[in-house]
Amino acid sequence: MATSVTPIARARSIRRAREAARAADRNSVLLLLPVITLLVVGLGAILSASSVIARINEGDQFFYFKRQVIYAVLGLGVLIVATRIPYRLYKRFAGLIFAISIAGLAATLRFGAERGGSQRWLEFGGITVQPSEFAKFAVIVFLAAALSRKEEYLGRFLHFFWPVAGSLGFTAVLLMLEPDLGTTILIAATSIAMLLASTTPLRYVFGLAGLGTMAALGSALYQPYQKARILAFLDPLADPLGYGLQPLQSLVALGTGGLFGVGLGASRARWSFLPNAHTDFIFSIIGEETGLAGSLIVVALFVVLAIVGISVARRAADTFGRLLAVGLVSWLTFQALINIGGVVVVLPITGVPLPFVSSGGSALVANMAAAGVLVNIARVSARGEGAAN
Amino acid sequence: MASRRKPGEARLIALGVAFTMAWVGIGFRLVRVQGFEAAEHEDRGEQQRVRAEDLAAPRGTIYDRDGVELAVSIDAVTVTVNPSELKAPGALARLLAPKAGVPRSVLRERFTKPGSQFAYVARRLEASDADEIRALVEERDIAGVYFQTEAKRIYPASDLASQVVGFVRDDDMEGLEGLEVKYNDVLAGVPGQQSVERDPYGNPIPQGESFIDPAQPGADLITTIDREIEYAVERILERALAETNAISGTVVVLDVATGEVLAMATAPSFDPNAFSEADPATFRNRAVADVYEPGSTLKVVTIAAALEEGVISSRTVMRVPGVLEIGDKEYTDEGRHKTRKMSVAEIVAQSSNVGTILIQDLVGNKRHHQYLSAFGLGQVASGDLPAESAGRLENYSDWCDTTCGPSTAIGYRVDVTPLQMATVFAAIANDGIWVEPHVVREIISSDGSRERYEPTERPVISETTARTMRRLLRGVVESGTGSLAAAPSYTVGGKTGTTEKFVPGEGYSEDDRIASFIGIAPIDEPRIVVAVVLDSPHGETEDGSDLRFGGVSAAPVFAQVAEAALHRLGVPPDVR
Repeated sequence: MATSVTPIARARSIRRAREAARAADRNSVLLLLPVITLLVVGLGAILSASSVIARINEGDQFFYFKRQVIYAVLGLGVLIVATRIPYRLYKRFAGLIFAISIAGLAATLRFGAERGGSQRWLEFGGITVQPSEFAKFAVIVFLAAALSRKEEYLGRFLHFFWPVAGSLGFTAVLLMLEPDLGTTILIAATSIAMLLASTTPLRYVFGLAGLGTMAALGSALYQPYQKARILAFLDPLADPLGYGLQPLQSLVALGTGGLFGVGLGASRARWSFLPNAHTDFIFSIIGEETGLAGSLIVVALFVVLAIVGISVARRAADTFGRLLAVGLVSWLTFQALINIGGVVVVLPITGVPLPFVSSGGSALVANMAAAGVLVNIARVSARGEGAAN
Repeated sequence: MASRRKPGEARLIALGVAFTMAWVGIGFRLVRVQGFEAAEHEDRGEQQRVRAEDLAAPRGTIYDRDGVELAVSIDAVTVTVNPSELKAPGALARLLAPKAGVPRSVLRERFTKPGSQFAYVARRLEASDADEIRALVEERDIAGVYFQTEAKRIYPASDLASQVVGFVRDDDMEGLEGLEVKYNDVLAGVPGQQSVERDPYGNPIPQGESFIDPAQPGADLITTIDREIEYAVERILERALAETNAISGTVVVLDVATGEVLAMATAPSFDPNAFSEADPATFRNRAVADVYEPGSTLKVVTIAAALEEGVISSRTVMRVPGVLEIGDKEYTDEGRHKTRKMSVAEIVAQSSNVGTILIQDLVGNKRHHQYLSAFGLGQVASGDLPAESAGRLENYSDWCDTTCGPSTAIGYRVDVTPLQMATVFAAIANDGIWVEPHVVREIISSDGSRERYEPTERPVISETTARTMRRLLRGVVESGTGSLAAAPSYTVGGKTGTTEKFVPGEGYSEDDRIASFIGIAPIDEPRIVVAVVLDSPHGETEDGSDLRFGGVSAAPVFAQVAEAALHRLGVPPDVR
């Protein structure tokens, strides 16, 4: 590369490298800002939202809050560790990671605990984990690895087809057996975003997106409870105490919050009006207690996360890092959009938690790991290792 | 710079733009939900949370004149269940039946009604009984049993003045009889309202906004009833009913100077705490609701009018024939006599019908009617009591020229209540000033303000005429038809009355009489008027007197009541 470089060109190159390093450092700070803020906002919201249900279920109004504090500490540890692990290691171990993920999903289907009509949890001596959270990461890593290796051949259908079918397809089938449509849609959307960011021809990307949409719709119409959720989304008042209950009560909570909220700890919805107030509907409680002002701040934090995430992808040192970054930021963004979309009733309810905010251990730890990996990608690019591509 | 773009740069930017636009879309949706449509959603929330609840106003207390409680509201406990929460309804029914005083089968039926969310175990239990049930339920950790406070009206003096006090309906505390109904609005107060935010299980939300418009408690009534006199009068009246075989009887004791009803008794009586088990006929306050023809007691108005108008004096002597034929009627005196000369005093003392009619003729119908009206006949006497009758005094224009005046002069063709007649005598006792009788002395509002009742007054006859009348009435007891009215410790005066009982639809009874005595005690310095009216006394006394006559059956009741009441009032005896 550097056979005949003029001093001016060298100086320019050094300046560019310094600029890139500054931008990457800025990016890692800008990534951590929304993540940590959302984590803190989530803890505050859980403290309020879970107090009633915690007292009813566990006899201690701080039960879920205390548990979430432990998860948050754990998640911060995972984030710090993830920022230190060179992301290229994931490329090397992509196959292994994916195999573990598939094993986890298979074990869930075989041994998993059933809750609310679906089998999504694995229990290890009192600790419950959700393998699907790990599966999200595994599919992203596997797809990023495969797409970056095949970068030159993606114009050919089979080179496009096998990695996608092998990672997304296999995972989706296992997830739909649980069944977990929300996570399936999320992984599919993330995969499609990654394909878009790769050199895959747009016709394949949009073709897959079209197929995926049809499959999701077909599945939704085939599963009676999914159909009911879609109908309830279209007209919550038709079944106000059944499937329409959550959309309706969510709107009530948001409307009650109005512009500036009813005040911290003053949510009415948490008083057994809004089911899952501290998990899937935590955003309703934030909207109720802090109003439009608060809910727009949360939205703004996710916008920052998305833009900085894309920026990290753009500055990534290699194609794998770039696709990995796109996958991770798409995961977090799609999950937040699907969750909040359900809360504000522009999407049907699919039962996915709000990243960094909702109560729940597996999801939080997985999200924190994703943030950590993003930070690592940003840091590596800052050290000017872009040439290693 | 374009040359430096990595492959797919445009696609990445497109992805970033797509994410941002999606979030902007969410943002717009939030502005709509939390801004423009917020009120609509908030309303729905309030509808499901905010419950408007009535706050019962405590009902005022009814006291006697000295502050003794005659009717009072207490907190009782109503026990209910939510049958859908019961795990073992049959066992619970067996457990609670003896405590609730309800048959087990009835409870089981209530507890097992399909789809039922609410059933009574027992309403308005005393706190101690409810506590026993509460202990049982807590000991066995039974879910679905609830306790709530409900007001209960009790009458501590049981049957004392029960027709005056009345009673309320258990369900809603609405007055049904007596002062309880007449002063219902005053006693009831104004229910308040509260709105509370509640969760779906009915528990109040601590952070919820609550609004309380407190109930305005009902006012208390202080009556004019003297519990001691009332009690004595009721015992005397009960005994008199037994001794005279009367169907019913009533006694009114009036304070002559103030118009206050010191006692108002009707027998047979009832216990308002258990009114549902009593004969509804006993609820009627006969002192104000029943009318009768007063007979000879009304002669006091005829004589007083004649004295006041100066057509006779107390010394006038009349030539009284044995029979007086007017129109189609023959008027005679009790114990027929030939034409004889009688003083006014004798006419009153012997209760001469003919003599009174002759005196009435001197007064004339028009003036006679004016006095009857001035003494309060044909008008509701107090207005404090429900179902109070105005009696009947025909308009003067409807009076005939023949028998109307004469018959009215001796107390027929006029219907009166015992209270009206007592008030007539009270005006004579009160030096000619008629004072409106009343039962409620003072209303004490919940804010402590007191409203004392000011009775209306009017002069009816002069002080001189009143004094003359009292002398004549004293003669009735000392040497006339009312000798049995003489009280041991006090000089008294009064007038006997005996009329054939008029049975609506049948006419005058052959055998039944309304026997009455109305008198003033002490006669020289009057304090009280006592009116005694007995319905259909029968039989004879030990010495063979006919109990159908007021002078025989009612006069002794008067004597006992006057004696007891004056003692109670601390009036020094004037008989040595």
